[in-house]
Amino acid sequence: MSAAAAATDGTYSPAAAAGEKRRERKEELRRHLAEDADWPRADGRSFHDCRPAFMQTGPTTAASGSAYAEFGKTKVIVSVFGPRESKKAMLYSDTGRLNCNVSYTTFATPIRGQGMDNKEYSAMLHKALEGAVMLHTFPKTTVDVFALVLESGGSDLPIIISCASLALADAGIMIYDLVTSVSVSCFGKNIIIDPTSDEEAWQDGSIMVAYMPARKEITQLTLTGEWSDGKITNAVELCMDACSKLCDILRERLKDAASLAE
Amino acid sequence: MESRKPPPSALVDNHVVPGDVVLDLAEMTNQTIKLGAGLRQDCDTIQATSAGRLRLSKPSKYWVESSQKRYIPSVEDTVLGVVVDTKPDNFLVDIKGPNLAFLPVLAFEGGTRRNIPKFEIGTLIYARVVKANSIMNPELSCMDATGKAAEFGQLKDGYMFDTSTGLSRMLLSSPTCPILEALGKKLSFEIAVGLNGRVWVNAPSPSNVIVVSNAIIKSESLSGIGQRSMVESLLERLS
Repeated sequence: MSAAAAATDGTYSPAAAAGEKRRERKEELRRHLAEDADWPRADGRSFHDCRPAFMQTGPTTAASGSAYAEFGKTKVIVSVFGPRESKKAMLYSDTGRLNCNVSYTTFATPIRGQGMDNKEYSAMLHKALEGAVMLHTFPKTTVDVFALVLESGGSDLPIIISCASLALADAGIMIYDLVTSVSVSCFGKNIIIDPTSDEEAWQDGSIMVAYMPARKEITQLTLTGEWSDGKITNAVELCMDACSKLCDILRERLKDAASLAE
Repeated sequence: MESRKPPPSALVDNHVVPGDVVLDLAEMTNQTIKLGAGLRQDCDTIQATSAGRLRLSKPSKYWVESSQKRYIPSVEDTVLGVVVDTKPDNFLVDIKGPNLAFLPVLAFEGGTRRNIPKFEIGTLIYARVVKANSIMNPELSCMDATGKAAEFGQLKDGYMFDTSTGLSRMLLSSPTCPILEALGKKLSFEIAVGLNGRVWVNAPSPSNVIVVSNAIIKSESLSGIGQRSMVESLLERLS
């Protein structure tokens, strides 16, 4: 028995090693925060740089429209079904219904099955999209938006919103404009854009903006933590600028998809 | 924002996405324009609300032509529907739209209470949309405008498959679509295309049905030349 125990002592445990690395990173982050200086981010980005983005339409063949988004380690797939007849139990409505559902795979987070609050995210996704979707164009019917987070690497909700907007456009649902979303985190005096999950764990506050660039309208603004007036203004402007740039990527994706189909 | 305000009709035949300003009405005085699907007026601008190609038919009809998996019913469209339920006065037909369509039992040539057609659930029907309204279920008819059956009615045998609305529009386009032209020169087959993105193919032999169906499905992402060369290679393998 002791021989077996001795043999297992030297074995390599990937989970333990990964946990050790995470702890080291958090310690380093805490040290930088204490100094309140301009520190390098874990992935080498500057404070106002977003993660490299990859987006694609049509990964789900069964859906009316679908999109896949990959921002750094965060991977999301959104499928849109409908417009389809509302269930008989629902009351008559002269505007359409938008049904949003966000779910996480069991392997999305480092600790198995520790996804975010799905109901809260579903409600926030609905809030961000309902201002953009022309619900009056499909009365008595429902459009279902199902988002699945394949891997959670931070800033999940903004990516879900942007990806859902792309999927809605791919499905041919009438929308006023594409909705893009970006979040920023506050660390002392510093504002960093598109935080990773490690950065989100140590933030003092966060702002998430869902924005329609062509109409210059904000469909949702979520604020957590302590913020001063000046800092809020800077953060929102930073988000809106990033949203406009992200919207250009979404437009290119849609045009590429349309030209490929032809 | 200024970059998204092109001169009138500069975006015609180009791809537009939701939010794009396709026309600036401030620059168009004393002109009447008609807006079709995928466009809306917002103050002094016309904006796209769906992704696709902006089309213009003379003199001034604008619309966005897009390819989707779902179908929005429109009057005078010919569609392929599947009977999902039968009622005393109507057949309920699935046309891939937001709602099931009604096909009245009397909407057939010489239709009377005595000779009501008996369609089982799952029957494939080629019909014409006579009423389409966003708040009502669409209504179909198996007669043309003169009351004749024409090509409408039940489709027996053959094989039906789903495509996008863009492909079905391409198959029905005039002049004849290159894929159908190339296949028609070498093979004999029947085809019925619904604008709702359904295609029915029938041929004397099952192998011909498979060849035609596969060729049509693959043709969506090919140019005219690509379609012809694909048909040639398919027929070489068949012979």
